[in-house]
Amino acid sequence: MAVKELERRPLSIARAVAPVAATAGPVILFTAGGMRFAISADEVQEVRGGDERTTISKLKGSELIDFALQVGLGEGILERLLVLKPGECALAVTDVERMASIPKVVSLPGLFRGMERQWYRGLLLLENEVVPLVRTEYWRKFGRAGSGA
Amino acid sequence: MNDGTRFVTFPLGEQRYALESDQVKELLMPAQVFRFPHTMSSLEGVLVRRGRVIPVCDLRSAIGHGPERSFYVVAQCNYLGRQEVVAIPVSGDCQLVQGERGEASGAVAFVSAVLHTGGRAFPLLDLDRIVADCIQPAMGVAREAMR
Repeated sequence: MAVKELERRPLSIARAVAPVAATAGPVILFTAGGMRFAISADEVQEVRGGDERTTISKLKGSELIDFALQVGLGEGILERLLVLKPGECALAVTDVERMASIPKVVSLPGLFRGMERQWYRGLLLLENEVVPLVRTEYWRKFGRAGSGA
Repeated sequence: MNDGTRFVTFPLGEQRYALESDQVKELLMPAQVFRFPHTMSSLEGVLVRRGRVIPVCDLRSAIGHGPERSFYVVAQCNYLGRQEVVAIPVSGDCQLVQGERGEASGAVAFVSAVLHTGGRAFPLLDLDRIVADCIQPAMGVAREAMR
């Protein structure tokens, strides 16, 4: 068969619909292990300085979770605590940057099927960044199991 | 067999491969790969395209080509019974060609057939198999996520 090479041309996209998993509402952006993450502000009871960790433990018997360590970023610099409602555990993180109102959470693509599906509810699309939104249910359960920092 | 099907050919290192054009959704210029901690080997992170996130799968563990990349071939594959879209970094120009499919000589890993076009032959990638082989949950965080 005589084979004709077709001209180079871009292929059109078949589907360009953005699947939106849920709305995030207000989130708190924080850093841990040099990376940025987000957590739903409604799930956070309070933000404390890292030096208050002893106080938290005494108050509630809270478990402290070194977030960076648990997601594989190595032992984190723990400067801030995000106390999760109802106060049984706290994520120890490097810094709490700001609150933001993020309208959309995009589901993790199906190819991600490891622990990240437990760690994150989805991905927030910021202007020049993709930020994982942590799944607080998982981390509360993790904290109750007593595997903290 | 002469099926006159269209294919997309692309280089991965020194070798040029092909996929059926039906599988290929889009070709993307090099773009920022957004990384975050995860446990899936060979997944570097995601590209964002029109509000959609597309995982980037580096095939070097299967194919062994180098890190250079000129385009991303965005293709559809079957992964664990579900249709998924994946972006594959390729190292040179992509071409849309017409050709005929022939049988691969011997069992070659991740090659389902051979594309004959323009007097040349290109291995036709079995994308489902290669993606399933490359993308596996690891015990720890995948190195690709942290590069």
